[in-house]
Amino acid sequence: MAEIAHPARPAISGRSTPVVGWLSRKNRGYYLVGYLLLLVLALWTVFPFYWQLATSLRSDVDLYSSSVTLFPQAFTLEHYGKILSASSTFSTQLKNSVIVSAATTIVAIVFGSMAGYALTRLRFFGRAALARTLIYAYLAPGTMLFIPLFVMMSSLGLRDNLFGLTLAYLTFTVPFATWMLMGYFRTLPVELEEAAMVDGASRWTILWRIVMPLSAPAIVVVAVFAFTLSWNEFLYALVLVQAQDKMTAAVGLAAYVIGDQYYWGQMMAAATIMSLPPLLLYLFGQRWVIAGWTAGAVKS
Amino acid sequence: MSVLQTSERARVAAVGRALPRLGRDWRLGYTLTLPVVVIILALIAYPFAYSVWLSLQDIKVGGQGTFVGLGNYAKILFDRNSQISGDFYNSVFVSFVYTGGALLGKFIIGMVSALILNAHIRARSFWRALLFLPWAIPGIVSAFSWKWIYNDVNGVLNTLLQNLGIIQSPILFLADPNLALWSVLLAVIWQGTPFWTMTFLAGLQAIPDELYEAAQIDGASTAQSFWYITLPNMATVIVVTAMLSAIWTSNAIQYVYILTNGGPANVTETFPILAYNYGVRSYDLGIGSTIPLIFLPVFAVLIYFLTRRMLRQGV
Repeated sequence: MAEIAHPARPAISGRSTPVVGWLSRKNRGYYLVGYLLLLVLALWTVFPFYWQLATSLRSDVDLYSSSVTLFPQAFTLEHYGKILSASSTFSTQLKNSVIVSAATTIVAIVFGSMAGYALTRLRFFGRAALARTLIYAYLAPGTMLFIPLFVMMSSLGLRDNLFGLTLAYLTFTVPFATWMLMGYFRTLPVELEEAAMVDGASRWTILWRIVMPLSAPAIVVVAVFAFTLSWNEFLYALVLVQAQDKMTAAVGLAAYVIGDQYYWGQMMAAATIMSLPPLLLYLFGQRWVIAGWTAGAVKS
Repeated sequence: MSVLQTSERARVAAVGRALPRLGRDWRLGYTLTLPVVVIILALIAYPFAYSVWLSLQDIKVGGQGTFVGLGNYAKILFDRNSQISGDFYNSVFVSFVYTGGALLGKFIIGMVSALILNAHIRARSFWRALLFLPWAIPGIVSAFSWKWIYNDVNGVLNTLLQNLGIIQSPILFLADPNLALWSVLLAVIWQGTPFWTMTFLAGLQAIPDELYEAAQIDGASTAQSFWYITLPNMATVIVVTAMLSAIWTSNAIQYVYILTNGGPANVTETFPILAYNYGVRSYDLGIGSTIPLIFLPVFAVLIYFLTRRMLRQGV
């Protein structure tokens, strides 16, 4: 937990122990097998994504010809054009995803940092119980809650409603954000706060003027996670929204499949667009994201 | 801490005396945690209790419920002639194979990937970024990509196998009852492996070099070092990763929903899909909320141990 904002430690030490040295050239058998395995793993990992991208860029003639080729023979952007055109609901659904994910993230960060600070620095009755409950809530699977939430949101008139969906997303993002931020707050030197307190600063001032600015890197990481979790969420979105124009992109994509016709080019184009935000966040924030993730914190 | 306590002590004397049992900072503490407490109570605790209440009723969407006590549980678990009971036991079996298979696959591929990524290889950070890629892709998107790969008409897997002359007619990867579950599993393993690779990599890096050096001096081979040092030292990491992954994998609905939607002939109907089909599609809220609750004890045990561990690491 403590390492969420720090890059993972470099593993390479000068010495060559078996755990890092087993793929050396001296060990000819391992060397060959190791690199062969790496190649196979890389192909297996990249292929589905490559194929999605390649499909989205192929014209239909190329796509449905009997001889499939590894590289697109006829490049086209028409699938992207169609999926983002005014007559398609996908751009509305993308917008819905952005709204819900952003709202969820902001609420989770604000409430999560308030509670996280209280739980790490303040003494009050019920503190330990609340910390424990947060982990239970974070680990508890969504399948336990989707039917009661479905009934609740129906009776509150919050189905087919982005606000209702945001409320549902708070069930996993708020415990998650609180827990991650607690781990970070714990690593901040308490002396700074003590000094401020001696100077007469109130706890609120300390939280907003000292703790939050110091925690900016952790907040960015937690925000990225919370956004991605909400962006990728499927079950609640599927159950709570039926209206096409209120769907998130994740469920909008699924609605294509349930129909009779499969427009694979357009679907892969939509899928590619939908994977861009998490992918870009991952590529640019890789170091921090991986360090935070190995802290054992994010749903797969 | 001492300065903090001294300066706070004066305040405690003034403010806290009325309610000393609530702790030194009870006022600010409760103010700051209030929003989170409200969210937990209103959006998690209440729905959960409500779900238990629904499971005790015979209730359809839009209809009045009748209290049936443990009737739904009894029907699902013991009424062997009912449709739901058969479906339920099928989903237990499917969920078990699905989760177990996924864990095994992710463990093997994750361990091999982590061992390779931890070794001195060229362009290490490039390979690492590459092997972690599936993690960054939304589950729903990869479910689609795999559906397209498996497709019987123009799907790349079938075309490839046909062009190589291995098969004559397309294989129905997702429609053949003997293959469907394995096809879904492959996609699930593809997506879930990076989480294991990442935690294993972190675990490998935490093993002290001295252990390996000592083993080397004693003349241990690479394989022996792995078996007697790496594996035992990774035991905790492996168990924790497996528990987390078990919870998340068994509850993820999108792969099955997109790839097969529970079919063909229920061979891929995991319990979340079953609950969705009964509760939301067939409007049977009573049965729908009972199904996940029957699985709750399994998750409760996992969550209990994980929480203990996370608290020990944390506070």
